[in-house]
Amino acid sequence: MKRFDIVCLESPNRSPLRIEGFLFGEENTKGPSIAIVGAMSGDHINQLYVASGLVEYLRIKEEEGKISGRILVIPAVNAYALNMGEKNWPLDKTDLNMMFPGYAQGETTQRIASRLFGELKGYDYGIILEGRRDQGMCIPYVKLIQSGYEDLECVKDLGMGFVHYRPHEPVETAMLQYNWQLWETKAFSIVFGKNGSIDQNDTDQVHTAIVRFLSKRDILDFHVFEGHKSNILDPNRIIIVKASRAGIFISKVRCGTAIKKGEVIGVIMDALSGKKLEKMLSPCEGIVTCQYAHPLIFQNSIAFRIASVELCCQIDTKREEK
Amino acid sequence: MGLIEEVITIELPVGESFRIQRCRYAPKKEEGIKRISIVSGIHGDELEGQYVCFLLGQWLRSNPDKIRGIIDIYPAINSLGIDSITRSIPFYDVDLNRIFPGSKNDFLPAQIADGVVNVMRGSDFAIDIHSSNVFLREIPQVRIAKSQEEILVPLANLLNIDFVWVHDAVTVLESTFAHAMNTIGTKTLVVEMGVGMRLGKAYGHQLLDGLLNLMAHEGILDIEPLDVRMPIQSHVGEVAYLNAACPGLFVPAIEHCQVIEKGSVVGHIVSALSGEVMDEVIAPIGGMLFTIRAYPIVYEGSLLGRIFGKTNGDSQ
Ligand SMILES: [Zn+2]
Repeated sequence: MKRFDIVCLESPNRSPLRIEGFLFGEENTKGPSIAIVGAMSGDHINQLYVASGLVEYLRIKEEEGKISGRILVIPAVNAYALNMGEKNWPLDKTDLNMMFPGYAQGETTQRIASRLFGELKGYDYGIILEGRRDQGMCIPYVKLIQSGYEDLECVKDLGMGFVHYRPHEPVETAMLQYNWQLWETKAFSIVFGKNGSIDQNDTDQVHTAIVRFLSKRDILDFHVFEGHKSNILDPNRIIIVKASRAGIFISKVRCGTAIKKGEVIGVIMDALSGKKLEKMLSPCEGIVTCQYAHPLIFQNSIAFRIASVELCCQIDTKREEK
Repeated sequence: MGLIEEVITIELPVGESFRIQRCRYAPKKEEGIKRISIVSGIHGDELEGQYVCFLLGQWLRSNPDKIRGIIDIYPAINSLGIDSITRSIPFYDVDLNRIFPGSKNDFLPAQIADGVVNVMRGSDFAIDIHSSNVFLREIPQVRIAKSQEEILVPLANLLNIDFVWVHDAVTVLESTFAHAMNTIGTKTLVVEMGVGMRLGKAYGHQLLDGLLNLMAHEGILDIEPLDVRMPIQSHVGEVAYLNAACPGLFVPAIEHCQVIEKGSVVGHIVSALSGEVMDEVIAPIGGMLFTIRAYPIVYEGSLLGRIFGKTNGDSQ
């Protein structure tokens, strides 16, 4: 294992920002290479935890001589934010994952992104551990955006239950996944958990999926159990349940729960009078992939996203008919 | 007297509603007339636009007989943010100007964006007034995406600003209010002036004259066009960026945005700890320093200023 600074940026007063990388495997290996990027945001604690856990796991596997490719793990990109409970770059509040591919002569966070991206270019595979960009929490899933260079086949080797495969939004052109794909790394994100916390189940699942991927792609010479056959989802297969009122939100289900049509999945109460404002019923049979994670909810907020069995069947049947 | 209305209302969790208010001035007969929306506070830490809204409202109240079109004033789009020095939408920490056109079926910031677009839909013009951020001070300028150049530059030239900056299209900017409105046929200009969290009276009056002039030209006000300044056009030259070479405390040598010569000292980056001058910031080209850093703490890369210089050999 080689531990090194990818970025070391002096600060006016605090200690320098260091983005550390942990490199495994022989330098001249013929095996494939992969880079895994952890917390880009100061509230991506699950992501930090998975990445640092991988570093320790791979250190042991390297001692056992099990590494057949080359692996770079970057547990924390934004240590400055992590160390002060901020989400973004603490001075100008810019989001590091909105600065790609970076610009070496630009603003501070563009320079950080540029140096980081310089290090990440050229890897065969790229995994971005992502938290959510909203107040939600979700089952671990793969987010693969369509850049024209994405690789849907390889993500199936993670053996994760759901792959969200969809066109990219304009803002995503400034994010790592999109740019990494344009540079011909097979890059994808694993999105999971609730920001600012550690969920042992979710993080275990993601760890296992990554190890499985490393094994199946001949980066790790180590046998693993099979995972799920992935369900490929897109926005048309997901039903959204919104809060019709604002107030205190009590969820009655967990992410990943299979639910029936008409089942009570959540309740909203008036935050002052305590009166029940809304009983939220599941509009379909399916699996809760994602839900609102803050106890106070806003009117029209998305309370649940449900992968609908019926919608998936309809779409797939239509495809087969064609 | 304008008509004050709450045009967007979204319930908040604990005994309050998020609201956007509008003050509308309209002539008695409303058919077949033009409509303009004056917009400020998409970013909650930018307050120059609030002052412009006040000045315009004050003018309209004293000149109701001149009104020939509908003039809508929206001083505080991110009303939660304006009242709490918060640039983004509080709670979500999302930059509202990166979420347009928004959607009803999405989280609060997207709903606000969607509501804003729908309320202003049908306006012939929109003027979106920004004041940079807390880091930078800007001279009054309009920024226009290259694709909109032909339509918008003539309009910007009416606004009594100092500089029209036509920039290349960036995909990220497709998520702005201006892009969303231009897409649905509302000619929308983005004004940047002053600095975040502060108010500059002179700039406010300068833009008020520009707004009155634009409205006179478009028949929204029945007044003579004003004698306004012609802004410098970015296509005749180039923009040079001054980025900090090292971290420290930036001490400007120039107090205001002004014309400077190549090689002149813009400021110094100093160390508060050692008492050393770490770097002297020199203008790489001569021209108009239209942006200067207002917030002194800098990292490597922090923007210290922008200079617009005419291209070599240009006789203008
Ligand atoms: Zn702004």
